[in-house]
Amino acid sequence: MNPSLKLGLIVAIALEVSFAQVWTVNVALIAVSLILMLLNHVSFKRLLYLTLVPLFFSSTLVWSLSLRGSASPHFLLVIFTRLFVYVYMGGLFTQTTEPLTLTRSLEQNAKLPSKFAYGFLAAFNLMPKIRAEVATIKAAAMMRGQVLHFWSPQLYFKVILAAMNWSDQLAAAMTSHGFIEGAPRTHAMTIPLVARDWWLFGGCLLLVQVGLFCGLP
Amino acid sequence: MATVTINSLTFTYPQRKRPVLDNLSVTFPGGKFSLLTGVSGGGKSTLLRLIAGLTPLPAPNTVTFDGEPLTKIAPGKRAATVAMLFQEPSTQFTMDTVVNELRFALENQQVDPAAMPAKIDAALDFIGITNLKDRSLMALSGGEQQKVALAIIVAMDSDVILLDEPFASIDPPTRLTLLQKLVALCTQRGKTIILADHDLSGYDQWVDHLAVLDTGKVTLLSAEQTKKRFAAFTPEQLRLTHVTQPSSELTVCLQGDQLGIAQGKRQLIQPQDLSFFAHQATLITGPNGSGKSTLFRALVRLGKYQGTLAYAGTNIQKLSRKRYAREVGLMFQSATAQFLNVTVTEELNLSRHFGNADYFTAERVQDLLTQLNLADHAEQVIYSLSSGQQKKLQLLCMLIMAPDVLLLDEPLKGLDFASIQVVMRILTTVQRDLNLTLIMVSHQLSGLDDLITLHLHLDQQHLTYEGVAE
Repeated sequence: MNPSLKLGLIVAIALEVSFAQVWTVNVALIAVSLILMLLNHVSFKRLLYLTLVPLFFSSTLVWSLSLRGSASPHFLLVIFTRLFVYVYMGGLFTQTTEPLTLTRSLEQNAKLPSKFAYGFLAAFNLMPKIRAEVATIKAAAMMRGQVLHFWSPQLYFKVILAAMNWSDQLAAAMTSHGFIEGAPRTHAMTIPLVARDWWLFGGCLLLVQVGLFCGLP
Repeated sequence: MATVTINSLTFTYPQRKRPVLDNLSVTFPGGKFSLLTGVSGGGKSTLLRLIAGLTPLPAPNTVTFDGEPLTKIAPGKRAATVAMLFQEPSTQFTMDTVVNELRFALENQQVDPAAMPAKIDAALDFIGITNLKDRSLMALSGGEQQKVALAIIVAMDSDVILLDEPFASIDPPTRLTLLQKLVALCTQRGKTIILADHDLSGYDQWVDHLAVLDTGKVTLLSAEQTKKRFAAFTPEQLRLTHVTQPSSELTVCLQGDQLGIAQGKRQLIQPQDLSFFAHQATLITGPNGSGKSTLFRALVRLGKYQGTLAYAGTNIQKLSRKRYAREVGLMFQSATAQFLNVTVTEELNLSRHFGNADYFTAERVQDLLTQLNLADHAEQVIYSLSSGQQKKLQLLCMLIMAPDVLLLDEPLKGLDFASIQVVMRILTTVQRDLNLTLIMVSHQLSGLDDLITLHLHLDQQHLTYEGVAE
């Protein structure tokens, strides 16, 4: 499916699920996401991670709500499954979409200004460098007798300084490689947006509406 | 073939009084390889950025390509006119893989998608890196990244190629390949090349012209003068009179067993047994990019290494990170990596709080600040200091910490002659007074004689102690 439409579909469904209290739809969405992830060969380790993290948070949430407050069991079930819907659908999206394909699609299909699209991509590709920088800052601080934790403001101050420096360098490099804000560009890869994508988009959204309508008390 | 002409260009950085480029006029001949040289911080990068159009020009018509002002060239045509290769290899790419970055550059030039694969393959083939085509850019070494950056410029077919200290962290074989490719671009394709480097060594057989940037003005030497200048130039000689082979009486502080250093798949230092000795000042020399800084990062547990490393007899992986960091400190090559606070005073107070405040009393620190010409900058924000001032402050901060072993990565980089004298005097005094172990990497070779007692040379992926036996 076209990445931009896929993103739109997932955001739309997530938004609806936040307001509707139908646990059967939640479960159906979880099941569909899980099956699609399995079909796309998402690794078992990743699935386990995607399950255990929301399990911890939704369990604690449900537990605290049932100890105090007057939430009905129905509401607790909705809350419990809703978190899984978010995580599984997010997981399905990130595990089946390449950042570069998404960027190209957002630029070509969704007409997002190219400076946002490529700025985001450049930053994404810098992730390993950011990780190394954090390690260096922590080591430098320890050599001065200070232990920086992930909540220390100094760590963020230094990382932001480094990032500002890199962003200048990146901007210069993009300009040097001929990138100009708002200028027309050709596309080495065209991301297709065909009728089938729209049918799929509409069909999925319709199914969720039907489910929500039937499930409403 | 494009001739680059600069007409009365004056450029002053905001909030500075003195212009860094002062009514500068020069012509870089088309189709030739010019080497732009001058002291660090003298304005070489600024000039290149102005020529590349990365910094807005203070006045139109100050930079022209074959008579056409840079400001008149349509933005879409600029990359085909002039492109730049940067000093830091890793922050010049937008995309994930080599082929995608090449596509990105060609898309920007509105090249027909059907024509792209041929252009990409030709550019990669010209630089000789066809095998890197589908590799992830972040997984490449600095040298490979510079080759990719050059391949992109080849694909964009830019007339003028600017390079800003491109070999700062590149190993000698890669440097040689890149230089050969640049000369081929000049002679075979008529490209105009301007390369900035503060160090003249290793360029004599490659460049056509030498352009010397001094106090805001550039003098372009003719081919004849350039030859003469290179013939008269002798690389700075290392003169160490106190260096001997380490004697058996010395105490070992850091011991590497089959210690090897690799960067990705490339072996920088072959596994070898290596000892560093306590209370000595050891100098490590070797070519750029040969692995000296990577060795330092391994010694402070910031990088991977092969074999084992022991500090005072204990494997460093078994020591607590916090304790080890206080005993073995590193003065990073980039000064700003060391700072944690905002003003000079805050930074010094932090060091005194955790460091050796008994020796570094308030009076002594004040005296050292005066010697380093920093006394008037106490309340200044560190990031607004000049790079030389930052370097001096960084050294002072790390000396106050007084770790048992202090690793110094290019502590004299970018300092003027007078500052080097002061810094070396302070280093020597403190080392003797506190009996510190100093291990130092430096390309600046003069003025080290008083301090250095041991000398390790890195060559052919192997470190050896130089000097005669005592």
